[in-house]
Amino acid sequence: MTEKSASRMGWIKKALIALLSVFLLGGLAVWYLINENFEDTTLTKSSFTVNAQELINAFQDNDSLANSTYQEQLITVHGRITETEAADSTVNIKFVDPITGSYLIFAFQTQHVSDAKILAAGDSVAIKASCSGNIFSQLRKAHMISFKRAVLVEKFKT
Amino acid sequence: MKKAVLVFSLIVFANALFAQTKTTTSATVAFDATTALDALPKAENKTVIAEIDTQTGQIGFEAAVKNFTFSKPTIQAHFNEERWLNSNKYPAFTFMGKISEVTKYNFSNNGIYNVTVMGQLTIKDKTNFITTPATIEVKNGVLFATASFTIALADYGIQVGSSGKIAGEPKITVSAELK
Repeated sequence: MTEKSASRMGWIKKALIALLSVFLLGGLAVWYLINENFEDTTLTKSSFTVNAQELINAFQDNDSLANSTYQEQLITVHGRITETEAADSTVNIKFVDPITGSYLIFAFQTQHVSDAKILAAGDSVAIKASCSGNIFSQLRKAHMISFKRAVLVEKFKT
Repeated sequence: MKKAVLVFSLIVFANALFAQTKTTTSATVAFDATTALDALPKAENKTVIAEIDTQTGQIGFEAAVKNFTFSKPTIQAHFNEERWLNSNKYPAFTFMGKISEVTKYNFSNNGIYNVTVMGQLTIKDKTNFITTPATIEVKNGVLFATASFTIALADYGIQVGSSGKIAGEPKITVSAELK
């Protein structure tokens, strides 16, 4: 084998290794994405535990500060349910400020929707969920603080 | 006295049943940007505010961008990041419009009404006019509204690139039970 052909073989080998590495890394990324899922909220520790009305007040008083504190955090909220509302085939749970109409609204995690369906207005509960923060509704002239992937932690006896 | 209470209760009940503004804070908006190459970019938001005035035909929707839920955390993070929806800066989608020729329909009667809705959809502070067919079913004073349409993401300053993994014109499906 001449020096020139040996050098060419070396380059081909390097190129093949590089190509293989790219395929492997790509495959790993695809595998990760396919198998990546949100954890069941019941298994995750909440960063804050707050009363429903106090949380509404925090957003009404200073929504920028409240958003930076609570947004994308898992929060356990205690309070008395004001309203349940049909949402497609599921049910959302609401805590409403009776004076301003501002409210917290919880959409339940798919595997826990049956827990939401047994709840009713007046029930005293603790709900854990991921806070999506606040928008000020031009239609309702009130703060809407929404939550996703909610689970029922406890329904208290009253 | 009993008669007065009964009459008052009936008036309150009838008003609630046939109030001209029907609302919900739990409308559902589904976003489907899947393609043959990628089945992941789709999401749902079940906490959308919706209002329909059955007399004037005025319609409004408001959705918190951050409350769209995806099955995959990475895709959800991409959806909210700056080059996509930039939800920190633009936290809401809004639609303000009306039912075309609303006087043709009597929403106080039970039935299924096929209507046309037109209005302004605002995403990332960019507003475009859209028109879509919609169905409104009335059952004892409750409105069940559904609509399905596509939007061009480029119209809202969102570039999907050329990978073919994200539909440039995703399907939007809206459903709401308004009382």
